[in-house]
Amino acid sequence: MPIIEVIVSPQGATQVTTRGFAGNSCQAASQSLEAALGLRQAEQLTPEFYQQQATNLAQSQGQR
Amino acid sequence: MSHIVQIQTQVRDPVAIASACERLRLSPPIHRTVQLFSRQETGLAVELPGWRYPVVCQLASGEVRYDNYNGRWGAQAELDRLLQTYAIEKTKLEARRKGHRVTEQSLQDGSVKLVIHVGA
Repeated sequence: MPIIEVIVSPQGATQVTTRGFAGNSCQAASQSLEAALGLRQAEQLTPEFYQQQATNLAQSQGQR
Repeated sequence: MSHIVQIQTQVRDPVAIASACERLRLSPPIHRTVQLFSRQETGLAVELPGWRYPVVCQLASGEVRYDNYNGRWGAQAELDRLLQTYAIEKTKLEARRKGHRVTEQSLQDGSVKLVIHVGA
């Protein structure tokens, strides 16, 4: 199930991370939340997340 | 694909500010004009513990105006706590407004992690 993870620092700044979304849908999913929280400082795309999942899947299938 | 976004919190939602005050057991915020030593500010005023002057949340700009004389008239930690709690409450409000389930967890470094289960 897709999740949006929000980490709020002790000073109140937030980091929003999406996990488990297909394609670009992660950005659409968290856009309104990001806008509600404040001003975007930086964005980082992490395609490794899905690559990692694909690797894990391949390994687990290979073990069968 | 996944993405990570860093956000500087802007205080714009009166409902989330009220929730934050309630959670921190502060008096409810009141819209008024207050004197901050040598100047006046108008907005949603919040009284922080040990602070000489209230902090004023200007919802249109998202800015928080205050004068704590570099900490001598009020500890920065109290304002930080208000901003952190605001961001937590705002995140929960937005998640629930969209019908998502949200869980909260305190981390060892003082941060708070919220997990929004999209579609749950």
